[in-house]
Amino acid sequence: MREVLVIGSGISGMAAAVRCASMGLHVTLAAPFPSERSQSVMAAGGINAVLSENDEGDSVASHIEDTLKGGAGLGGQRAVSGLCEHAEEILHYLESIGTVFSVDENGRPARRAFGGQSHKRTYYCGASTGKQIVSALIMETRRYEAAGLIQRRLWSCFHSALIEDGVCYGALLYDEATRNLQPVYADAVVMATGGQNALFGKTTGSTQCDGYTQGRLFQQGVDLKNLEFIQYHPTTLETSQKRMLISEAARGEGGRLFYLENGQRVYFMEDRYGERGNLMTRDVVSREIFLTNKEVFLDVSFLGERLIDQRLPEIRDLCRKYRGIDVTKEPIPVAPSVHFFMGGFAVNLRHETNVRGLFAIGECASMYHGANRLGGNSLLAALYGGRIAAEEIAGREEARKRPDFTSFIDEQQHLLEKRQNTESKFPVAYVRDLLAETMQKDLGIVREEASLDSGIKDVDYYLEIADRLQYDNSVMPYFNYSLNGILTLARAVLTCAKARTESRGAHYRSDFPKTEADKCHATVISYEEGAYRTWLDKEGTYES
Amino acid sequence: MKVRIQRRIAPVTAPYWEGFTYDGPEDTSVAGLLDYINYHDDIINDEGKSTTRIGWECSCLQGICGACAMVINGVPALACETFLKDCKGKELTIQPLQKFPVIHDLVVDRTSIQENLKKTNMYIGEYQQGEKQGHEHQYLAAKCLKCGLCLEVCPNYVNGETFYGAAFANDCYLVASRNRDKAKDIKKIYGEHFGGGCSKALSCVDVCPMKIPTMASMAKLNGGRV
Repeated sequence: MREVLVIGSGISGMAAAVRCASMGLHVTLAAPFPSERSQSVMAAGGINAVLSENDEGDSVASHIEDTLKGGAGLGGQRAVSGLCEHAEEILHYLESIGTVFSVDENGRPARRAFGGQSHKRTYYCGASTGKQIVSALIMETRRYEAAGLIQRRLWSCFHSALIEDGVCYGALLYDEATRNLQPVYADAVVMATGGQNALFGKTTGSTQCDGYTQGRLFQQGVDLKNLEFIQYHPTTLETSQKRMLISEAARGEGGRLFYLENGQRVYFMEDRYGERGNLMTRDVVSREIFLTNKEVFLDVSFLGERLIDQRLPEIRDLCRKYRGIDVTKEPIPVAPSVHFFMGGFAVNLRHETNVRGLFAIGECASMYHGANRLGGNSLLAALYGGRIAAEEIAGREEARKRPDFTSFIDEQQHLLEKRQNTESKFPVAYVRDLLAETMQKDLGIVREEASLDSGIKDVDYYLEIADRLQYDNSVMPYFNYSLNGILTLARAVLTCAKARTESRGAHYRSDFPKTEADKCHATVISYEEGAYRTWLDKEGTYES
Repeated sequence: MKVRIQRRIAPVTAPYWEGFTYDGPEDTSVAGLLDYINYHDDIINDEGKSTTRIGWECSCLQGICGACAMVINGVPALACETFLKDCKGKELTIQPLQKFPVIHDLVVDRTSIQENLKKTNMYIGEYQQGEKQGHEHQYLAAKCLKCGLCLEVCPNYVNGETFYGAAFANDCYLVASRNRDKAKDIKKIYGEHFGGGCSKALSCVDVCPMKIPTMASMAKLNGGRV
């Protein structure tokens, strides 16, 4: 295979592009904006790895065990083993391309404790690990751009894939500069488009990650997996424009959660789970905060100004800037909020979807994290997934005859023009806000059948509106045409949540509070002529 | 609050000013204000006429992606961390960055920043530690958002054809400090596209959202040790 199209230029997209280019493949790296705007820059806490020089009795086996346990048995033994076994190599790679890690007294990358992990194995760059990795990868991508092997394509939004008979031949991109749809043919297409934030309105993540690619490709026959598992990050701060993440690094460095009762601090996590209570997995901490039904605070002030400035400067800045809180003197009011999506494209161990030649990596793919992700594993998974997909693509030799997609492209272009030429000003933003309200209400930390049914009913109604009404022609066409895919994904998420009649990891059903041994399998959802069909992957289709 | 926004439908059309009366919450940022105006079913300008939604870019909404760089009351800044309570005067003016081609309203094309870095092969390659003391400086340099605020405010930066500005200078420092084999070549390129053209107004330092010590980068590249 020679030509690769990577859609999305955050960490996983760049990792795949660079790896492909290093093996001599030609890569088109398409995204609406440069990598500096990707959600990857918001990853704060760190990246997990067990290094051979590690001296505290940690082991790769322990990293695997923690990840599988954190994922409540759904992570996939083989997938997680591969991830953890390659973590050291990935960390060394990041060092070799110049990532500015925080270092210890010997000049070696420093590490901190993170939730749900038996050992201290999260390597970090202050509280801006994602940003530092993005900066290093941008330079590495530039190296291959200079060599003519990677071509960035900005102002490009995904529209649909060019698929025939279960094989992907490229994608249709909407070009903001020329304002039309353009086909890009490739031997392999790699989706690296991030999570599904827009389903919930403004989350801790980027407004650019909206889940459209997952919804649209689902309609085109691509299976999705584990959509019901949505991570609520336990510590987010309310501000006037969104809920902002207070990195798990704050608790990793010793931060304590409490609420006030009769003027006294109650350290509820420590009371219930002991000394390491603040570092339980995110699903557990979020649920415990939710169940207190009180205003909860995170205190780091006792760490002292020097340590806070040294290890958590970004958290200090953020609290001061957006809330006027001085974390060296006062606690931070926190509450759980939607942060990460364990579900996404169903992919096999090589990161390929059920459509041949179509791969998915990073947060848009459902892999490694099972029912709940451990902090520090998402950056690792983004880099590892990018590498695995690239190696599979490079090693594949197959003759492909490209079908004629002219009529499909003409049809899509016609539909788009028809919508754009309308004078109607019905705002898509309105429907998106309604959707967010529904999802926040009906798909919260604690779910039950009645609320899920109500959510499904609402989303079906929005889908009906979206298809019937014309769109606002004063906003970017992407914002208009993406609505249907986003709503379709939301419908699929609710359907998966309804189908899982047990509680596991981040999915908690008040009407089915127990974890059932016979349901320890991934949920897969397929779209069949407008119907949503879910099934438990008992055969391990996506574990092979 | 009165708000005046410099708008443009498309790159080929002429810019124009449009006024709005903002009656939303005051404890928000300029990003929050733009969101508020755009949210309504019908957007009405201060002449009572229906108008179109205001185009602007955003991603993180917390000052770490650089998407929402614009000129607010004459000062280049990120909309998501410029708060209404800190804006002086009765009227708020919002313009797109003036030194980049406008795509639509407040959305500009900042490709030239990336292109200049690409043209000059600005990448680390194989990491080899240079100066040992500069870790904090390198950490800050690598936080550059490529938002363009430093270029907008710079009296020497025109359109990036010859003088590449502070964003370039800080990347030069980062590469030279993380790969000592490249330091010599980088210093030369730095001299050609920054060192020789900078009049040291240093307004770039004041507007940088990441507080990158550009002066220190310059000192190290202008003959100092990297």
